[in-house]
Amino acid sequence: MKMPLNPGDEFLDRWSRRRFLMRNAMGVGGVALAWMLRQENLLATPPAIPRGPQSFDMKEKITPARPQARAMISLFMHGGPSHIDLFDPKAELTKRSGEDYPGDITFSFVDRASKKLFGSPWKFRKHGQSGTDVSELLPHFASIVDDVTVIRSMHTDINGHEPSIWFMNTGKAQPGRPALGSWLTYGLGSESQSLPAYVVLTDPGGHPVDGVRNWSNGWMPPLFQGTIVRSAEPRILNLEPPPHLKGALQEQNLAFLAKLNREHLSRHPGENDLEARIASYELAARMQTAAKEALDISGESEATKKLYGLDNNETREYGTRCLIARRLVERGVRFVQLFVNGQIWDTHENIKSNLATCCRKTDQPSAALVKDLKARGLLDTTIVHWGGEIGRLPVTENHGAAEKAGRDHNGQGFTSWVAGGGFKGGMTYGETDEFGHKAVVNPVSPNDYHATLMHLFGLDHNKLIYHQNGQEQRITDGKPCRVVKEILRQA
Amino acid sequence: MKRQRFLIGTLAATLTFVALSSHAAPALTFEKDIRPILKANCFDCHGEGEKLKGGLDLRLRRLMLQGGENGPVIVPGKADRSALFKLTHSGEMPKRDKKLAPEQVALIKRWINSGAKTARPEPTEIGQGSGITEEERAFWSFQPIQHPPVPATRKKDRARTPIDAFLIAAMAKQKVAFSPDAEKITLLRRAHFDLIGLPPTPAETAAFLADTSPDAYEKLIDRLLASPHYGERWGRHWLDVAGYADSDGYSDADPPRAYAYKYRDYVIRSFNEGKPFDRFITEQLAGDELARITQADTRAVLEDEKKRELLIATGFLRMSADGSATPAVADIDAVRNQVVADTIKIVSTSLLGLTVGCAQCHDHRYDPIPQTDYYRMRAVLEPAYDPKRWKTPDQRLVSLYTDADRKKAADVEAEAKKLSDEKAAKQKQYIDEALTKHLEKFDAELRAKLREAFDAPKDKRTPEQKKLLADNPSVNINAGVLYQYNQKAADDLKAMDAKIGEIRGRKPPEDFVSVLTEPSDKVPVTYLFHRGDPKQPKEAVEPGGLSVLAPTGHGPRFLAKEADVQTSGRRLAFAKWLTSPTNPLVARVLVNRVWLHHFGRGLVNTPTDFGMMGERPSHPDSLDWLASDFMQNGWQMKRLHKLIMTSTAYRQSSARNAKFDQRDPENRLYWRKPILRLDAEVIRDSMLAASGSLNTKMFGTPVPVRPDIHGQIVVGEDKTQGDNKMPVDVALNGEEFRRSVYIQMRRSRPLAMLNSFDAPVMEVNCEKRQSSTVATQSLTLMNSEFTLDQAARFASRLKKEAGEGVQKQIALAWDVAFGRKPSSTELADASAFLREQADHLKSIEPPSDGKAKKDDKKKAPKVAPEMQPLSSLCQALLSANEFLYVD
Repeated sequence: MKMPLNPGDEFLDRWSRRRFLMRNAMGVGGVALAWMLRQENLLATPPAIPRGPQSFDMKEKITPARPQARAMISLFMHGGPSHIDLFDPKAELTKRSGEDYPGDITFSFVDRASKKLFGSPWKFRKHGQSGTDVSELLPHFASIVDDVTVIRSMHTDINGHEPSIWFMNTGKAQPGRPALGSWLTYGLGSESQSLPAYVVLTDPGGHPVDGVRNWSNGWMPPLFQGTIVRSAEPRILNLEPPPHLKGALQEQNLAFLAKLNREHLSRHPGENDLEARIASYELAARMQTAAKEALDISGESEATKKLYGLDNNETREYGTRCLIARRLVERGVRFVQLFVNGQIWDTHENIKSNLATCCRKTDQPSAALVKDLKARGLLDTTIVHWGGEIGRLPVTENHGAAEKAGRDHNGQGFTSWVAGGGFKGGMTYGETDEFGHKAVVNPVSPNDYHATLMHLFGLDHNKLIYHQNGQEQRITDGKPCRVVKEILRQA
Repeated sequence: MKRQRFLIGTLAATLTFVALSSHAAPALTFEKDIRPILKANCFDCHGEGEKLKGGLDLRLRRLMLQGGENGPVIVPGKADRSALFKLTHSGEMPKRDKKLAPEQVALIKRWINSGAKTARPEPTEIGQGSGITEEERAFWSFQPIQHPPVPATRKKDRARTPIDAFLIAAMAKQKVAFSPDAEKITLLRRAHFDLIGLPPTPAETAAFLADTSPDAYEKLIDRLLASPHYGERWGRHWLDVAGYADSDGYSDADPPRAYAYKYRDYVIRSFNEGKPFDRFITEQLAGDELARITQADTRAVLEDEKKRELLIATGFLRMSADGSATPAVADIDAVRNQVVADTIKIVSTSLLGLTVGCAQCHDHRYDPIPQTDYYRMRAVLEPAYDPKRWKTPDQRLVSLYTDADRKKAADVEAEAKKLSDEKAAKQKQYIDEALTKHLEKFDAELRAKLREAFDAPKDKRTPEQKKLLADNPSVNINAGVLYQYNQKAADDLKAMDAKIGEIRGRKPPEDFVSVLTEPSDKVPVTYLFHRGDPKQPKEAVEPGGLSVLAPTGHGPRFLAKEADVQTSGRRLAFAKWLTSPTNPLVARVLVNRVWLHHFGRGLVNTPTDFGMMGERPSHPDSLDWLASDFMQNGWQMKRLHKLIMTSTAYRQSSARNAKFDQRDPENRLYWRKPILRLDAEVIRDSMLAASGSLNTKMFGTPVPVRPDIHGQIVVGEDKTQGDNKMPVDVALNGEEFRRSVYIQMRRSRPLAMLNSFDAPVMEVNCEKRQSSTVATQSLTLMNSEFTLDQAARFASRLKKEAGEGVQKQIALAWDVAFGRKPSSTELADASAFLREQADHLKSIEPPSDGKAKKDDKKKAPKVAPEMQPLSSLCQALLSANEFLYVD
């Protein structure tokens, strides 16, 4: 089936555009591909108080305040990257390595627990004009520090992976709530009419811990669920047929269907509904084209590909996804989240080799993303987030031989970094204690983090309300929290 | 899904009032033109409350003349000297964000300038609240249901039923007329989808076409009304307004409501039995009182099947989302209050067609429903929903265990207990052994001290011992971390747990019914809540109906209860009030909803709002005639269907007519039968029927749903494995092909296939479905696993039933999907399509790489390449408009 570039627009002029809009505005669509397509460019105000009928759409919303950011890419490093080996050097820890930690510690793995302080085996140096401390494990990150705010005082206060992921991703350490991406698309709508607003790029190695709940819409309509873009065909569920039906087979199929429908329409002249459905198949095909184009990186320059490490086995896969994330944001996707397979950052054991492997996979692509966005003038309006749900303990997790040592979970303090979209560059914020265990200076909770993100998007975390069974729900769940203005360019 | 229409806002109100007043111009009166504006926007501060802001009361003209602290607010004849006009004009009043619309301000100006007239002398006394005016009492839906005479018509052949005579009379004024009757085949499909929600089989099609008797169509309707599938289709409509769901909602956990399905089955059975609808209503509202069952003694449920059914019927009042069992809710009073409030919404929108729920916090802004009426209805429910003696969803379950069952269960439990004790001992031993082994890593002196500290009971440990254990975290072995020390021991304990579980599984399965009952010992006093806040109870309120329906000066009292009813009898009385022939709302609301499902729009197209904000009836006489006929003939739903479906209005063709299209573009006069998209369930069920995979098993526990690997909700057992919760496939043995009404309706997990075609997600209830046309639907039909699977099954069926001949396969495909033979062009096109697909498949190499496709293979059943063209053809038919729409 031949597709003109914008068949919908042409079609709409031919018949009642208004009726089409009316009809389309009614629907709350399916799942996985549950993003709605809006042909109208009307702007709507973000959902507010009404306890009357709630209807939902992906129309772009006018935010109460002028937004500084319009898109976000979250490089979610679940498992618990070891902040004291990457971002948060602790001289005292190095000095007293081998001695007993003087306070209480909560362990997840009791059998291997010890209180022996474990100084970082890696060297730190100051980088950039800002003089930001970076571990030797992250040479590429070292080259972007002047564009980045390093938050050293993140904390969830829970050691477990799942509860902390829920907290970081939904605002509460309980399952079942809508994810950050759902809240953003609920409050902001979509800029793109042919791509999903909330995209999840999963690792070909498998789903993250806790599986599909990571991009769940919770009790919001499925419209706000994250759409998975997989690395293998079919890339987007329901957007494309299984591989063996792709291409000419489906084109023939659609052409035949169009013929059936046109014949049927000729027997029912003037039925707008029937025409609208024919148009919606054309729109679906246009979405296929748009998605295919967005996911096709063959047109990227060699220099760009090299920047993301596509020429290197270790970085190719993650680099490709980072590059796709940029392409999606460029095309109006609101929120893109990347996950890694399983729990690679969960370095209980052999931290010396395992942590280095994680860094080799992600360091260059993550830094490339920031550089590339900046070069294209997109960084100012795009937030990049890098971080996990917990950090790691300053004491040894004992596995017998010294070289097998690792670190257990630490929800009391860890590091994330953010860049672009209104965050200050070249800044380090917050502190953990002298050993890197607990966030003690300017602690930032997941609720503070979410409140700050909402602020940058021109929303107020207290006022963006979703009505669920008569309850007012907020991403920050009514918890005490604040916008961390100290790390913003404009307060 | 919609909650309520009430709060839609000023704009709609403005338009309504302006439209009304333009007919009434120029004589504006306070009651008719001005009071509704003030009631909706001003009474809150200047009329209803105990305290009047600024001492100003706007409820009567004379009170405005009297004025408040700042003097009179109107000067008749002089709007520009009247504060009422000046302040609303400048936007200074009302204080809130929502100001009056310019049209409303203009109306106020005109009214004052024309002398600020009233329709009649104003009362000398005015109590609390807004009161109800003559104008409000005169509103159409509060008038007694008439049995209007059937208009005479010259078009005898087209006036098959009285309905037609009414419609013809209305058409004459607009110069439109009924379209010719639809073709027989069209009627067959229309009747099938409407009554049973499934397409006719080729055999049924052939039989109907062959039946040339004059009453062939009537016989068809009788056959369909007698089909068990009728209840599945029409029960589903009722479940929408009842807000049926298989989960409690409210909390993130959305706990399943395991026994709600019995109410669903009761509804389906009731429709199939042709239960008179007044009886159906009474059973749902007061089945327990009909059965004379009280909360204290529900044993009758075990012994008497009829009484059990009556109790199951009360499930209607247990449909609202309910968070009262949610652990640690912040404000349990508010949560319980919400349950009752939602129940009132369900009852009032489904049966009264009024948004009574809008009077929870203050008098209804638009309709004459004082806040006291809301609490009167609450008083009907409170004996069963007593906030002080609340029953959580679990506590409403009545066990169907017999004494024998109980005895057997106790024996099994004793056996399980024995093993469980053994396990506890073994666990202790394992931990002890693990500790001993682990302690070997410590030097002897420390070892002994650690042992001593560990063995000391937790609360008896000395500070030194506590510190010792804290400093050596790895000795703190417990059952939860035992696996970290001795995996085999942990596995052994796990196996014992499994065994214990297996033993307990031998108990006779305990079945329950979820019921609504009342205690017989005490009837709680119901209070009006100030501003709807359960923490601010005001005066006590007696149960009752709506004030506006009671004669002036009389309270809306119920009849006295029968002597042998030990409970309050309030719900029984309420049901009697609702189903009384003098109730003007219930029968109208019911027949209107039936009409809506047959014609795609109601005679009143706001089926749950017959108030001021709702639409006015397009054919008030038809509505009344249908409603009175319905009541006079025993509230028989099936009779009503037949009456409607044998009308010319229903039997006419859907073809458009340019002339009539111009005169009545929205077809409000029913000069043609509208084309309708099938409901979500009907689409899915029809695909199953076409593919030959439909499982027609009725009733029972719902077919489970789960998130798939993408998070999309599909049919399946919710079983996962691994940290990343990968779904595990469990064979459903044909359950996955059951009709959609039997699929679990978990509020937080709407089935993707149904949800994308506008099936409701139950927050409260669903007044009217949307019919959207969006690209996600197209994508679902183009690429979803469900569609591809159904297409493949359809293709296999064709091959099996039609043999190898392509022409025969195509002919059967058309017959199954569209109920007709393909035209010669269609036959040629379809053959060409099959060849085209086959040619293309031959031209490409079979996919060679097997490694990346591993999980694709598991999905979408592999279609043999030689079957692919036919499968593609089937998919096109299942996605075609001719399949998705009923003519």
